[in-house]
Amino acid sequence: MSLHLEKAPLRVAAPPPQGNGRRWRSVLDIRAMPYVLISPYFVLFAFFGLFPLAFTLWYSLYDYDLAGTTEWAGLGNYVQLLADDDFWNAVVNTVGIFLLATIPQLLLALLLANALNKRLRLRLTIRMSVLLPLVTSVVAVAVVFTQLYARDWGLVNWVLSWFGVDPINWRAERLPSWLAIATMVDWRWTGYNAIIFLAGMQTIPRDLYEAASIDGASRRRQFWQITLPMLRPTLIFVVLNSTIGGLTLFAEPTTFYNGNVDGGSQGQFQTVAMFIVKQGFREFDYGYAAAAAWLLFLLILLGALINFLFVRRIGGTR
Amino acid sequence: MTTKRRGSLTAAALAATALAIASCGSGTTATPTGAPAASGAAEPVTVRVQVFGGGENFGYKNAVTKWNAEHKDVQIKLEVLTDQFEQVYWPQMIQWLQAGKGAGDVVGIDEGGMGLAKAHPEWWADLGEQGLSGRQADYPAWKWENGVSADGKVFGLGTDIGGMSICYNKTLFEKAGLPTERDEVGALWPTWDDFLKVGQRFQGKVKDAKFTDGTNTLYNVVLVQEAAKNGNLAYFDKTNALVVDKNPAVKTAFDFAQKMTQLGLTAKLRNFTEEWATGTKKNAFATVGCPSWMLGVVSGNAGEGAKGQWDVAAVPGGGGNWGGSWLAVPKQSAHPKEAAQVADYLTSAEVQASVFTDFGNMPSNTKAQQDPAVTGAKNAFFNDAPIGDIFAKSAASLQPVFLGVKHTQVKNAIESVVQGMDDGSVAQDKAWQQLVDDAVKAAG
Amino acid sequence: MTGSTGGPGLWNATVMTKVMLAVAIVLSAFPLYWMLVIASRTNDDAVEVPPPFLPGGNLGDNIQAVLANEDAHFMTGLINSFTVATVVTVSVVLISTLAGFSFSRLHFRGRRLLLLTILLTMMVPLQQMGVVPLYRLMVDLGWTGTLTAVILPYLLNGFGVFLMTQYTEQAVPNELVEAARVDGASTMRIWWSVVLPAVRPGMAVLGINTFMLLWNDYMWPMIVLTPDNPTVQIAIQALNERFSTNYVLIFAGTALSIIPLIIVFIAFGRQIVGGIMEGAVKA
Repeated sequence: MSLHLEKAPLRVAAPPPQGNGRRWRSVLDIRAMPYVLISPYFVLFAFFGLFPLAFTLWYSLYDYDLAGTTEWAGLGNYVQLLADDDFWNAVVNTVGIFLLATIPQLLLALLLANALNKRLRLRLTIRMSVLLPLVTSVVAVAVVFTQLYARDWGLVNWVLSWFGVDPINWRAERLPSWLAIATMVDWRWTGYNAIIFLAGMQTIPRDLYEAASIDGASRRRQFWQITLPMLRPTLIFVVLNSTIGGLTLFAEPTTFYNGNVDGGSQGQFQTVAMFIVKQGFREFDYGYAAAAAWLLFLLILLGALINFLFVRRIGGTR
Repeated sequence: MTTKRRGSLTAAALAATALAIASCGSGTTATPTGAPAASGAAEPVTVRVQVFGGGENFGYKNAVTKWNAEHKDVQIKLEVLTDQFEQVYWPQMIQWLQAGKGAGDVVGIDEGGMGLAKAHPEWWADLGEQGLSGRQADYPAWKWENGVSADGKVFGLGTDIGGMSICYNKTLFEKAGLPTERDEVGALWPTWDDFLKVGQRFQGKVKDAKFTDGTNTLYNVVLVQEAAKNGNLAYFDKTNALVVDKNPAVKTAFDFAQKMTQLGLTAKLRNFTEEWATGTKKNAFATVGCPSWMLGVVSGNAGEGAKGQWDVAAVPGGGGNWGGSWLAVPKQSAHPKEAAQVADYLTSAEVQASVFTDFGNMPSNTKAQQDPAVTGAKNAFFNDAPIGDIFAKSAASLQPVFLGVKHTQVKNAIESVVQGMDDGSVAQDKAWQQLVDDAVKAAG
Repeated sequence: MTGSTGGPGLWNATVMTKVMLAVAIVLSAFPLYWMLVIASRTNDDAVEVPPPFLPGGNLGDNIQAVLANEDAHFMTGLINSFTVATVVTVSVVLISTLAGFSFSRLHFRGRRLLLLTILLTMMVPLQQMGVVPLYRLMVDLGWTGTLTAVILPYLLNGFGVFLMTQYTEQAVPNELVEAARVDGASTMRIWWSVVLPAVRPGMAVLGINTFMLLWNDYMWPMIVLTPDNPTVQIAIQALNERFSTNYVLIFAGTALSIIPLIIVFIAFGRQIVGGIMEGAVKA
């Protein structure tokens, strides 16, 4: 997947001159059809893109109260939000869980892809097996994992007890809760990303490696110097997807706390998306929720930018 | 006001276009498959009753079966939506009430939600119009008046009231070398200090279980007892001003919760969570603060197999009134008449008495309170505890604690701190300050 | 796939590789296996320590209990999710294929600018960002609780247009389009007979992505739907909330929600894996 915009295609040669009506029709076809073809998207964009964005801004300037009153607040919601510890707590949680999930996930996916790229028997079966988590349901997975991580009767604590670890209260301690949620995310996505990486790896000409190994480059060196730079377009795609998914994380942490968007007694794992739902649909302060939504958007833009710069560096400046 | 109108205008303008997109873009018209079918005279009317709470809270199972057998034309569908009132049930209900869609025909409201419910008469059908004004005679004044909205409309009929006891696990008490007979157990703890001492004795003997479930249940028990000594106020005064930091009841309850956690007496479970429910079943704790309605929760969570293993003893510090609910009919109901009939039936003396004898929720209906079946009731699950004796005696004297419009929000915030102090996510020495701060924020 | 000309063993799987793959497969399968173990046992077994590791004999009974439980609305959830995911997938794939063709192979004023707009909007998580106005809109329209409310916001998918634009650029040579033009074919005709056959793998990967996105969507349906007309994720969550300690019922429900997908996956595994891989490199 590459993020470039190809130059405009050549101007299409005019069709051979024919009857007048026919020519009109074909001019219309060439001039107008391109717009017709993209119009469904832009009509939808107007209603479900511009409208929510604009109205989110509009709502964010008002103060809503459970009692049913609505008052103009100007930038008051934003000022309040920037000083709100709970909001920043949610931001830290979101970024923390995102990093805790994404970094190991991408490394594992790369390793797994590298392994899948070897000569193997039962190739399809193996590939399907690593893709299996993708075809499950997110809440189902979260329910299963939540039970595995139960404090008193959970499998994970039982296994840890073999090593003399005291039972961990996965939903009460911050870092353990992040870890638990990160494993849910990684379980679902590592195999999928590995398959995407594998596809990218298979486009890399094999003679590059063969030449390198004749030159005496170690496998590890080959991986860093050939595989990774050549994978850059794929990497951009995967990282961008993980970023958007990770920064809008909602289902796993919510299910982890019985469908409650508080995210732990002290918001140990409340993400920004959960914060928005809590403000908007638990406290019914629509304005505050809308303001938080805008800040989430900025967070994602920032995340995308950082990713972009980061991935650029990985691949050098090819 | 202007925002609202403008929002609707935009909505209206978008409606047509969106519809067009929906039908031509998709090719399939999506229809809700769960839409109620209200047509056809032969079709029985289904009245959806939505309630909350763990175990067998509300205890309507048998009453509903009975009604459905006797009324072919009106069928009750009982939906227990979730264990969690403050965090899940009530916000969703508010959302549906505001949206004008989604709520059941009869909905249960916990005392904590009544302040808000009263302030929004537009959400509710007028039960007086359905001829239920006469029910006033069935209730103590406060229980009736709380179901009357600001503009004088009857919208809610009382179900149960608190009453107070301690449920205890006999097996664990025996293990700890404590007495297991309910009178002896009650005699162990005339005061809360005695209760803590018994806890320490228990914990000295038993290592694989805790003395009580968590901090929150008993925090609430102490809070309502103390509230009665402080003008029947909890978090708000009668002008809806937050008094968390001024009301000594809150601080006393908090201090007690803190002592329990510092002495290591709690299983660190938050009530009405799945782990708490499983903890009941797995004997993870020996006591639970039990308002009458909690009996059904405990027995439901512990399961049939635990019959006779639990018992009910007197609560330290005398009675108290925690909890109790109302049934209301949302205005959006398509069958207000039938819904009112069902609400009338479910709050009748007959059903309230049977709920008490089957599950334990103390009737608010004064006729039911005087029913010999109630005053003489024993609870089979709880080792034939004379619950009539334990709860019914004090029922007439119970006073309501005033709860403000934003009670549920503040309650959730405060209990999160009380819980956080227990599970270690809130530092002990900062907990009180944080409780006050979070309460202020939640009252926003 | 045989790099036989390379240095000795460059493409052979080492023992390490095999061990790693084995571990990956076990980890992938374990939670699903676990789910079946609990779903086939009793509630008392579910909270045993140490936990049971072998399936019991109650799977059939437990699944029947879920389906028979009216409050769970489980079949409704499955059907609703299937409807929503199919409608959105078909629409998005169609809209994206058309727009992708236009952006990559047709010439028109404003093309680069419009494409850039799409790139930017890809970053916007509309269903989350716009949750407040979208919800209020649905309330005003009286569409809360209906599938229409779930479907509409998802018809907009910038990623799809971007993907199909890229894919069409790679898969459909410009010369082919021009040749058809010279033969007098109309734009739609070219799309139908030249573009569509060539971009099928791209459509497949976009289709799978969209379907999974909708199938797993949780936040928006949770807000806009009611428990009696849920999607499958909401149904599982409702099961989880209503029957909090009835583990076998909950796990049987989760298993039920997954089984249809796994059957499809096994039946079309080759095409799905192939589609994802081909779609991933060409775009």
